[in-house]
This record gives sequence, C-alpha cells and structure tokens, in this order.
Amino acid sequence: MSRNSGNPGILCLSLTATLLAFACGQQHSPATSSSGADSTSSSAPAATSPTGSAADPGPVKYAHGFRIDHHGSYRELSILNRAAGRTDTLHFLLLDEGQTPPAGRTGIPVIHTPIKTMTVLSSAHIGLADFAGAADRITGLGNFQYVNSPTVRAGIAAGKVRQVGIDGSTNNELVISMRPGVVITSTNPDAAFGQYKTISDAGIPVVPDAEWLETTPLGRAEWVKLIGALTDKENEVGKKFDSVEKTYLALAAVGSSARQKPSVIIAMPWKGVWYTPAGESYMAQFLRDAGANYSWSDTKGIGSLPLNVEAVIPIALKADYWLNVGYVDSKKDIAAKDQRFAEFHAFKTGALYNFNRRVNDIGSNDYWESGLVNPHLVLADLIRILHPDALPTDTLYYYKQLK
Amino acid sequence: MRIAPEAKNSPLLGRTPSGWRWLGLLLLLILALLLDLTAGAVRIPFRDIFHLLFSRSGGDDTWRFIVDRIRLPKACTAVLAGCGLSVGGLQMQTLFRNPLAEPGVLGITAGASLGVAAVMLAGGSMATLYAIKELGGSGSWMVTGAACLGAALVMLVVLMLARRVRDNVTMLIIGLMINSITIAITSVWQYFSNPEEVKEYLLWTFGSLGGVSGNQLLILTIMIGSGLAVAFLSSKMLDALLLGENYARSMGLTVERARLVIICSTSLLVGSITAFCGPIGFLGIAVPHLARGAFNTASHRILMPASCLIGTILLLLCDSIAQWPGSQTVLPINIVTSLIGAPVVIFLLLRTKNLKVY
Amino acid sequence: MNSTPLLVTRGLQTGYRSGGKKTLVSEQLPELTIKAGRLICLLGPNGSGKSTLLRTLAGLQPALHGAVEIAGRAGLSSSELARQISLVLTDRVGGSNLNVYSLVALGRYPWSGWLGTLNDSDREIIRRSIEAAGIDALLERKVHTLSDGESQKVMLARALAQDTPILMLDEPTAHLDLPSRIRLMRLLHQLAREMNKGILLSTHELDLALQVADEVWLLQSAAPLQMGEAPPQPGAMSQPGAMSLQMGAPEDLVLDGTFETAFEREDVSFDRATGVFRIHPAGKRTIRLSGSGIAAFWTRRALSREGFNIREEATTHIDIEEQAGRTAWRLRTPNADRQYNSIAGLLEALNDPNLS
Repeated sequence: MSRNSGNPGILCLSLTATLLAFACGQQHSPATSSSGADSTSSSAPAATSPTGSAADPGPVKYAHGFRIDHHGSYRELSILNRAAGRTDTLHFLLLDEGQTPPAGRTGIPVIHTPIKTMTVLSSAHIGLADFAGAADRITGLGNFQYVNSPTVRAGIAAGKVRQVGIDGSTNNELVISMRPGVVITSTNPDAAFGQYKTISDAGIPVVPDAEWLETTPLGRAEWVKLIGALTDKENEVGKKFDSVEKTYLALAAVGSSARQKPSVIIAMPWKGVWYTPAGESYMAQFLRDAGANYSWSDTKGIGSLPLNVEAVIPIALKADYWLNVGYVDSKKDIAAKDQRFAEFHAFKTGALYNFNRRVNDIGSNDYWESGLVNPHLVLADLIRILHPDALPTDTLYYYKQLK
Repeated sequence: MRIAPEAKNSPLLGRTPSGWRWLGLLLLLILALLLDLTAGAVRIPFRDIFHLLFSRSGGDDTWRFIVDRIRLPKACTAVLAGCGLSVGGLQMQTLFRNPLAEPGVLGITAGASLGVAAVMLAGGSMATLYAIKELGGSGSWMVTGAACLGAALVMLVVLMLARRVRDNVTMLIIGLMINSITIAITSVWQYFSNPEEVKEYLLWTFGSLGGVSGNQLLILTIMIGSGLAVAFLSSKMLDALLLGENYARSMGLTVERARLVIICSTSLLVGSITAFCGPIGFLGIAVPHLARGAFNTASHRILMPASCLIGTILLLLCDSIAQWPGSQTVLPINIVTSLIGAPVVIFLLLRTKNLKVY
Repeated sequence: MNSTPLLVTRGLQTGYRSGGKKTLVSEQLPELTIKAGRLICLLGPNGSGKSTLLRTLAGLQPALHGAVEIAGRAGLSSSELARQISLVLTDRVGGSNLNVYSLVALGRYPWSGWLGTLNDSDREIIRRSIEAAGIDALLERKVHTLSDGESQKVMLARALAQDTPILMLDEPTAHLDLPSRIRLMRLLHQLAREMNKGILLSTHELDLALQVADEVWLLQSAAPLQMGEAPPQPGAMSQPGAMSLQMGAPEDLVLDGTFETAFEREDVSFDRATGVFRIHPAGKRTIRLSGSGIAAFWTRRALSREGFNIREEATTHIDIEEQAGRTAWRLRTPNADRQYNSIAGLLEALNDPNLS
C-alpha cells in the first residue's frame, strides 16, 4: 500500500513551496503522462475494469483522479495522487456490510457500502452528495458557513449535522465519536494525510476528493460517481451524469463553433500579481467550450498563472468581457478596489459578469457547491454571456452582470 | 590652536559635506527612477518612455496607460516608502542607541499586520465581506484602514508604556513582546482559516508597491510628508539623544516629550507604509548605516535627507530587480529588499573594524 | 570672586520615590552653596549617596524635600537649568560616528538655533573650550577610539562649551591613571579660578581633594560615632539609613577631627598629621629613630610597614646621617653598629632573625 504518513507541517511546507514556485515563475505541470489539456469534449482514455459486471455502470471517462474497478464480488476505489509530480495511489476496498476482504487483498482500508453517514469538509462535497441524492447522509460538515443545499441546511437546523472544523482544525475527537461511514476531505491527498491519520487509525476511512485537480469541467463533475459508489447508487448517478454529459457536449459544440470569439479576462490583480487560469485548467476548458478567445489558453499548468500585472494590462484594456471578477458586486466596488480598472473596455461597456448570482443569506456561493456538478449550466451561462442569442433563453443561472 | 579646516564651517555637528556627494546621490536617484520606469513586463523603449512622460498626448494608448497609471504611481510609492522607512529606521536607531533597531522594533509593523489579518483571516469570509459591503466599506480600503487601525492601536499602547518607562532598554523589550503577541494572534487566526485566506494573507506579507494609486497615493503622500516634516524638525533633539538620556536631559531636552514625538512620527511613517504596501523590511536597518558611512557624520540634519535619498535609490533598485522575471511574474518586494539588505548589513558589520562603533 | 552664590539649597533631602514608596538617602542637609570661582569636592564612601546628591542638585532627579535655588530661583525648567549647570558624568558615550569636534559642539545645544545651527560666537566658545581642555590634537578622532583619559577631557570640553556658571562632575577621575588624575584636578582648579565657574565634583580621591578643593562636603552615615561605639559593619552604608553632610575648608575638617571620625566608621584610620590613611596597625616591635627631613619621614613609613613602633626608649637605634650628599642609615643594636646605604638594606637587616 502506498500511503504516506506525512506530518501536519507538510501542509505548510507544500503551501509555501507552491507559492515560492509560483513566485519564481515555475509553473505547475501535470504530473502524469496521461493526456492533459487536449482532452476536451472528446473521449478520454477510459479506466477499464478487468472483468465486467452487471453492476458496472461504465468507465470513468473524464476524471483522471480516481478509478472504480469492479472485481465481481467487490469493487476497488483508487485515488490517484498526481499533484507535485507524484504518482502514488490510495486504494480502498468497497465491500458490502459484513463482507470480508478477498484473499490477497488484506491490509487495504475497507469501506462498507452503502455508507449511511458521512462527514464532509467542504461545500463541494455537499454538491457531489446532493447530485447523488445522498445529501441526507451528511452528519458532519467542516464549516457551517459554506453550505447551500436545502437538505443539509435543514439537517443543521434540526441539529442532525455537526460542525467539525476544516483542515488543520478538524476536531478529530468529534469526528471519531460520530463514527461516520466515511470522511471526505478536500486537501491534497498526500499533503495533509498525516493530520487525518488519527481518524483513519480509528477505523474511519478518509477519502480525499481531488476534483479540483481535474482539468475539465466534466472531469470535475464526474467525481459524483465516487459518491455513487460509496452509496451503492452507481447506476442512478451514472445515468444522471450521462444526461449532464450529453447536454454539456451539445452546448460545447455550439460554443466552440461560434464564428466570433470575444476576448476575455478573468479575475483581478492583487498586490501587483494577476492570477489567471492556466491553459490546462478547467476554467480554460470552459472558455474554450464557450467559444471565448482566452489569451492564455495555450499555456501549461492546471492551476493559475501568477502574472505580472503589466503583462495582462494590454489585453485587459481591450478585452470584450471581464468574467469572474472577484469579491465584488458592482461597478462601484470594482472602481473602489482600484480606480485604474475603470479604464478597461469591459468596464466601460458594462460587460462585467460574476458567478455570484446564487449567494444565499449566510453568504455561501452555490457556484462552488451545485455549480461543481452542473457544468452544463455553467457552460450555458457562459455561452449566453459571450454569444447572446445563441441559446433560446438568456436567463443566467450562476452568473450575473455587475452594474 | 589648530582647528580642522572643515570644522570651521560645521553646523551643530559634522562638517558640511561637499556638494559633490549630494550631487552624486541626486544623479543616482534620477538613474534609479528611470530604471524603475523602464523595468516591467511590457517592453517599452526608453525613448518612448521619455516621450510619454513629457508630452501629455500621443503615443500608444496601452503604453501610456502602463507608464502613467502603473509605473509612475509605483515609482512614486517607492519614493515615499524609501524615504519613510529610512527616516523611521534612523530615528529608532538614535532613540535606542542601537544599530540593529529598525522601524518595526516597537511592534508598529506587527500591529498593521494584525489589522490586516483581522480582516483577511478572522473576519475574511465572503459572508463578512458582503456584510460589510452593506455598510459601505469596500475592498482594499478595508484592508488599508484595518492596517492603519492596527498600527495606531499598537502605537497608543507603546506611547502609554513609554510614559511609565524611564529607560530605553525596557522600551525595546516591550516592543519585542508586542511583536510576539501580535504574531501569536495572527498565527492563531491563520490556523483556523482556509487555504485561500491564508494564501491571501501570505501574499500581503510579501509586500507590494503596485497597489497604490489615485486617492490612496494622495493620502500616503500626505501622511509621509507630515511624518518626514516632524522628523526633520526633531533633528536637534535626536542629535542630543546621541549622548544618552542623562546628558540630553542636562542640556535641556525633555526626554519624555522627545521620545513621544519620535515614536509618533515613526509610527505615522511606518504605519502608513505598511498599511498601503504591506511590510517592507531591511531598508529601515540598512539605509541609516549607509548614510552614516557615506557622509561620515552623526548630524541628523544631514543624515535625514541623506537617508531619504539613499533609501529611495535602494527601493527603486529593488523594485526594478523585482520586475526582472518579466512577464512570468513579479518578485515580492519584501523578498528583494531582504535579499539585498542582508548582505549590505553583513558587509557593513565586517567592514567596521571596531564593532563598538555603536 | 563674586559673593552671590550661584546655587543654594534650602532644606534639601535627597532620596528616591518608586511606586509610592520613599527611600531616604540623605537626612535634611544643611544649606549648601556653590559660589563662583570655587572648587568644591563632594567626598564620601561608596554608596553614601554622592551621585544622588549630585543628580539632585543638577536637576536630573527630584529631591524628596526642600528646594534647590539657582541664580536665586527655584523650580527651573529643563532648558533654564541647561544654561546654568553643565555636567560631566560617568556615562559612556560615543556611538554613531561622532567625532570629537561634533561632541564638543553638542555642548552648545541650549544656545543653538532650532535646527542646531551655530553662529560665530558659538564657534568661538567651542574653540576656547577645546583649548582650555587641551584636546586640540583629538578633533578629528572618532569618539569611540579615545582612551579613558582623552574621553574625559573631551566630555569636559563639551561641558565647558555649554558655557554655564556651574560645572558638576561625577567621579571624573574614576578610570584615569595617576598622572591624568593629577592633571585633571589641577585643570579643574585652574578653570574655577580663571573662568570664574563654580565647580562641584564628587570623588574618592581624598588625597587630591585635600590639595585642590576650596571646600569639602563630606557625606557620612547619620549620627557621628559616639565615644566607644563600635563602627557599623561594612555594607551598613547600603541600608536606608540617611546620610549626613559636614562641610568646610578641607584643612579645617582635618584639624577638627571630622575626617578621622568619618572614616573610622569604615574601619579605616586617617592620620591627620600626615594627611594619609594608615594601612598598617601599630607595630609590636619598638625602635628609636633620630633624624629629620624627608629621609626621616620615609624611613618612618617603611618602619611602620614592617610593623615597628617608634619609641624613644627602644633598645635599637637608627640614626639617619647625611654624608657627602648621600644618606646613610646607621643601625645600632646592643651588639652591633652597622651602616646601610638604603632603606631596603636596613629593613633586611632588621628582619634578620639573627639580629642582636
């Protein structure tokens, strides 16, 4: 088994190392040799299962970060750790209640499915669970400030969901005492594994969700199949995902074949650095599929590029649209951040769009929750923004124009 | 009796340095300014920069935007920060008679960081940001305001303690403790924050000269200007403090009042720079030593303008170096000043044959 | 000499106040005056509160009771005091690249312009101070490179540059070698007379003080010893028992036994005949000495060191004779009569166990 037991300090070290790497102009390169940015809407290499099974809903097509192998009487969940050039894998055996591990596969952590309760640490996980219809099984949540799902909010109000803290400050004792079927974390699989060792040592499986390392929107959304596997709802989830996939691909065809591709800038600079999505990130994929002209579409990296403001300014001054502007809600906010933003063409024409339409009363943005599993809705928004009249309706779902 | 010829022309302290030194420094300043305006991700030919600076119309629009709205404000900020930090450091070194004293020694920089951390970490979730937005506050003004508040708070604490403390060693230790407390509180908040917030705060601590323009630059100019004026007017007090508190008192200086004035002006200088630019280190320690070496005098009437010049030149240079990676990214200014400042300090210490100079 | 005093104290009591608690250092002192043209030495054992008194008179710390009047007024502000009193302290000074000229020029602080600018008369005073202190050769040197003696003179020049009627020095001879000490004391005496300043200095140097002071203020612990009372243990001075002060011309204080009594408390005896402290207790062996003049004086001291008591009726005689310009010591014992050319030889013979 290739699990490392690091220590909590490694989170800080890796954060610092990552930042230093950014600062020195290094770029995050995808670790594995698997096809990177080129897997657009076409089929990606499939993870095949050695023996087919009636319960096998089909391969994981877009996500590179996990695999579910069906071995007849049991399934095996593998989480690939591809960050920072590593290629080790976490394995979990998915067994029925009371089933014992098959010969030759002892020593691998076991998850007894279907799990009845789970503790999740971020609202993205809530999105995944909600898609799979399993949001009611969430009994522990990292931070009550980040939740949109009505199911979970009702659970919180009824006292059925407890707050357990995120990342470094997770209350291990509380989690262990709740004995959830699984704990889903959002940190880098290797990095902070040490801090969850306490929980996993207590016999509770800890499954890292690395959907944020995926390079395509569909790849990110496909992580719902992991929840499906844990809750024995693979078929259901698989069908639902297929429908999302179909819609998404149809929209992408519309977007990428648009004749006019408007230029776009993303996010805003902070302290002289402008973080903008790199060419192999999922955001860049969204833009390609929406038919945008994104100047950094060909760059390497799956995260953000820390660019010198000056490098972006020539494009920002002339860009047609300014998307994902930042923590602002109006033109006034933007100008207040920095008066120079008012010189941008997109500012003058009002072509400013942010994905904060669905922020609820406690300030949690649904884009990060259900938006994760509804890439077709996000893509539709983007197409409507960039190519008005390309789609029958023009009501936006996640995005709104900033006035 | 033979008097050294230079001594005949001296002000209270030191000989009047030859005009050549000032001239040389001014020349270096102009060069550094031009270098800083030229350095950047977008390659703009030197001739065009000149043209853009001196004629108010014509020229490429994008280039004009870059030179006028990005590089020029940045250079102005560098000038203000270079002056403010150097003079702040000079005052602290004289007040505490300690060559290692620097503007943050009383905890002012830590206080500003505390304010920023309070906004970014403790209250920094989008919920709070949106809530505050309803009240009208917004974005970067909030961070700046919080930093000013933090610095002012620490300054008040320091002033209160300074009244009750007779000697400066105690003040130094109190400053150290304030630093520790603020860092501890900030660390607690970091511990309970999510990675994005921590990263944002970390970026802030790297410092940046680029975020100040328009109204912010105006306010910073006023604050630095006032701080520098008060500091310059305190030159005589600082000269007297060179002999220690007993002698200073015997020459008529009210040491308590002097200490208050010096702490206030330093806090104003350093607090405002930290609020607008983040913490920028090493200038405060290194530049006064460079000024003393260059002009070979202890007179503050000369050392202050000298420190301003040298500090500005150094910071402009550091900023140019920070642009060096080109379009890929920009090095954080705090890192560059430390990388440059540390060797300077070491070099100075090694060159000084008698370490008891201070 | 002006007879109006420069400084007068009224009912002064020195001490410390800390946290509401008062620590008395001196009892109520008699009226102290400093007059122009006079050099006053403040004497007293360590820990007797010399520094406290000096600092109180100089305005560096407040008195517990009473007032210090300077030029007829009490309660002067810091800057007014700066024009009346200048100080030379034991504080080590000199960082930050200061050179000697700059340090001396700092003495003009109370008089210089708002940015510290000097005019011609300022520079003239500085020049005169440098000349008076004799530091012309040191002007370009950095302060931290000076020796103790040079440093002391520079600080004195600075105080002179401050051009005040009163000059106070706290242990100015502390780190100096003997020739420097003498030169400094002589210089101070000269300055008092020539510049008509009132100079107050605290010192341990009883010897030099007796020669140079116009007036002595002697600090001692409260009640003078009564006859037959045992002197207090060493270290008793550090208890908060208040000090008292006796003053007068040095010679008067010697003649009326004040010095003797004061130092007897320290378990040290002062010989008023010779003006020195007796290190050695009275000897056991007796000897008779005849002779006069310098040789006799020094022979007596040597004998005292060897533990001899000089008595007329002793059996061993020493005669000091001048022969052809050279001194000879003749030792006559019941059985021998020898001559020696040096005191060392004489003493060696006296210590010979075979002496008869």
